[in-house]
Amino acid sequence: MRRRILALLPWLALCAVPLLTNGYSQYIINLILVNVTVITGLNFLLGYAGQFSFSHAALMGIGAYTAALLSARVGISFWIGLPLAGVASAAIGLLAAISAMRLKRVYLALVTVAFAELLVWVLNNWRAVTLGTDGVNLPVPSLFGWDVDGDKRVFYVVLACTATMWWLARRILESHIGRAFIAIRENEILAQCNGINVPLTKSLVFAMSAFYAGIGGALFALVLGFIVPASFGLLTLVTQFSAVVLGGPLNLAGGAIGALLLTALPEVLRDFQGLQEVIYGVVLIVCVVVMPGGIAGLLQHLGVLPAEALARHWRRLPTPAAPPSAADGTP
Amino acid sequence: MTVPRLVVEEVSVRFGGLAAVDRVSLAIAPGEIRGLIGPNGAGKTTLFNAVAGLVYASAGRILLDGTDITRLPPHRRAHAGVRRSFQSVQLLGRLNVLENVLLGLHQSMARGMLASAADVLLRARREALAQTAAMQTLDYLGIADLALRPVAALSFAQQRYVEIARALAPRPRLLMLDEPAAGLSPAEVARMDGLLRQLRNEGMSILLVEHVLSLVFEVSDSISVLNNGRLISGGTPQAVAADPAVQAAYLGDEYNALT
Amino acid sequence: MTPATLIVAGLANGSIYALVALALVLIYKTQDVINFGQGEILMVGGFVGYSVLEYTHVPYPLALLAAVVAGGALGAAIERTALRRVAEQHHITLAMVTVGFSVLIKGVARLPFGSDIYTFPAVLSSAPVSIAGAEMSPQSLITVAVALVVALLLFLFFRLTPAGKQMQATQQNLTGARIVGINPGRVFSMTWALAAAIGALTGVLAAPLALLYPDMGSDFLLKGFAAAVLGGLESVPGAMVGGFIVGIIEMLFGGYISTSAQQISSFIVIIAVLLIRPYGLFGRRPVHRV
Repeated sequence: MRRRILALLPWLALCAVPLLTNGYSQYIINLILVNVTVITGLNFLLGYAGQFSFSHAALMGIGAYTAALLSARVGISFWIGLPLAGVASAAIGLLAAISAMRLKRVYLALVTVAFAELLVWVLNNWRAVTLGTDGVNLPVPSLFGWDVDGDKRVFYVVLACTATMWWLARRILESHIGRAFIAIRENEILAQCNGINVPLTKSLVFAMSAFYAGIGGALFALVLGFIVPASFGLLTLVTQFSAVVLGGPLNLAGGAIGALLLTALPEVLRDFQGLQEVIYGVVLIVCVVVMPGGIAGLLQHLGVLPAEALARHWRRLPTPAAPPSAADGTP
Repeated sequence: MTVPRLVVEEVSVRFGGLAAVDRVSLAIAPGEIRGLIGPNGAGKTTLFNAVAGLVYASAGRILLDGTDITRLPPHRRAHAGVRRSFQSVQLLGRLNVLENVLLGLHQSMARGMLASAADVLLRARREALAQTAAMQTLDYLGIADLALRPVAALSFAQQRYVEIARALAPRPRLLMLDEPAAGLSPAEVARMDGLLRQLRNEGMSILLVEHVLSLVFEVSDSISVLNNGRLISGGTPQAVAADPAVQAAYLGDEYNALT
Repeated sequence: MTPATLIVAGLANGSIYALVALALVLIYKTQDVINFGQGEILMVGGFVGYSVLEYTHVPYPLALLAAVVAGGALGAAIERTALRRVAEQHHITLAMVTVGFSVLIKGVARLPFGSDIYTFPAVLSSAPVSIAGAEMSPQSLITVAVALVVALLLFLFFRLTPAGKQMQATQQNLTGARIVGINPGRVFSMTWALAAAIGALTGVLAAPLALLYPDMGSDFLLKGFAAAVLGGLESVPGAMVGGFIVGIIEMLFGGYISTSAQQISSFIVIIAVLLIRPYGLFGRRPVHRV
């Protein structure tokens, strides 16, 4: 019980943030929270399950456009559009999963790159629906008369969503499902021999990762108020990869650290795209070669973070009861 | 007459024109240790993999407690109760011992998509039960104190035991061990011998592929011998050792030196 | 536009894609890695050639040579500094490193050149040559010829020379290659230097036909991917054939569907090939060992 309260504290503390910020810093913080959701989703796929899929940014775009178009052009409330955004991205993400079943390694990467580029092309060129490069304005949503107007109000919405997605991620990754993801990353044959249905599990991780991208995309639309296809291309994807790698794959906290560090950068360096790219490039290369565990790995090494992300809840070891009964084959 | 635990019926495995396994038949009773031996390239591993489901039989049938599992994919065979260890220890290096053993109990937690999802999100009762079962297995094997150690930090023999624990935790009907004694010291082999006997006495059926002949001949209730994909001999260890066909294949002086 | 014009134009562009694919295949055949930075290496070659011509006015062949040498050095540097250290790790690790270099190189190129678009001076007179009722510029003709020659040389290299066989041996079995005395480090360095040199050469050839700007790499990379995948990732003749086919398909898309559809022709090819016949026209199913 005490553990649960301790886990809640950071989130409660965050509630006080709007008292301390001005407009612009609040906006950045909102963006960071959105990216925590998005990067967590990518961490599922890339960090835990080891599936090298390039479609994450495009799927985020699908979510953003779903929520924005439903609200702006069809009049469907953002509160309905938000979960629908997740579902839409998950459905399209499953398409990528279909190819993952049959394709190994590099082939998966190639097909997801092509798929991502195709999605962005659709966003750019299907002007009748998406308004193309003109972009889409998200009308200010309203919750029982309370207008989500301004960065501080947006913050609370984003905080609530991100906290929920974070909780969900923890439950899932600390369960047998999380172990199954790791098994698929390390050794698919071993996974099969232990009863894991690999195609089903792969579908699950692709769908979940895409769901997070979609929700993140919808929240992104809320934070920005206005979206264009260019936000969901390869540069964004590279930023996301860098965040996962820098923060630490295979580690939920790592994803948050990466999101934190790499959200401010595109804002601060908005006019210096070259410099941004140099930094992402260096981050990717150095972290992957020298620091494969990312910052979270480093912190674990230094003892700041608990040693094994998955074993964090092993405070009391389950005690064996009676010796096992005769192995008569009953499962 | 009890239903045999495992029946391999005229199973062949062909790769292109080559029959790695050629019309092999054998049956393992409940509570029996079956040794599977043969020179290198005899087809033992292929037959082993065919029973485990990593390779599909080109002909013949495989029955587990009377149920036809010939066309089942590997994960369904695992559900049915066929569990195996690997020749080169295959553990998940990023996880600790307990988590590796929990991998073997995946099915107990994953059964039924909705129920499983609800359990993960809400009470996590299945996980708690699985952890208890995993600890029981580790205790049974005498390595419960290693539960939270990262597997990379273990000795080779300890890793072997973790691998066996993972296969054992879900109470399999058929335990398949691929060269469990390879690389172990004589003392460790003796300990393995004792463990296998204990499991057998409790009713487990074990299929054992092994090159450490002292272990196979000591512990097996019966032995099947493969050569060039065919079954060339079978029966009690004594009968097999005395069989001139087997001696011709590869035993000969080696076993005589042992006795 | 007549089909013949489209096809001829497709062949011209396709030879560029074929060269990109050849470099990709070269690295994949040796190291089992897809070089996501190949597009940026092409871009570097183009800009080096451009800069040399602009600022030193040396004859074109020297500029070409400068670009090729620069490319080779870049490739060897990439291999030596980063890839060597992760050569035996998970394939994701390797791919990430190449993605990192792709972004890094692009960023570095953007610093002096900004996001502007440059035109590379045409090298040969622009009097078009007539082939099968369609017209092709001499520049394009040279490009096709160069592509064919490079492909042929690579093919013979792998088939006949000891170095080529060493490269293949290293890809199939790293440990085994070591055991027979092959130094994998040297093999990898050579491979990357060669692949990058080809990439830089491609950039200099492509620059007069296309536009020169720091972002140009990803476009060529994706088309190179399409060509390599269509041909079969381990096949040198496949890369060639794949390149031409991708070039032609692109022109047909543009001619018969729409110009904007032209952009996605390569994506469609990649997705279609990988779903229908992942090993491409000339590839073979790899064998898995348990």
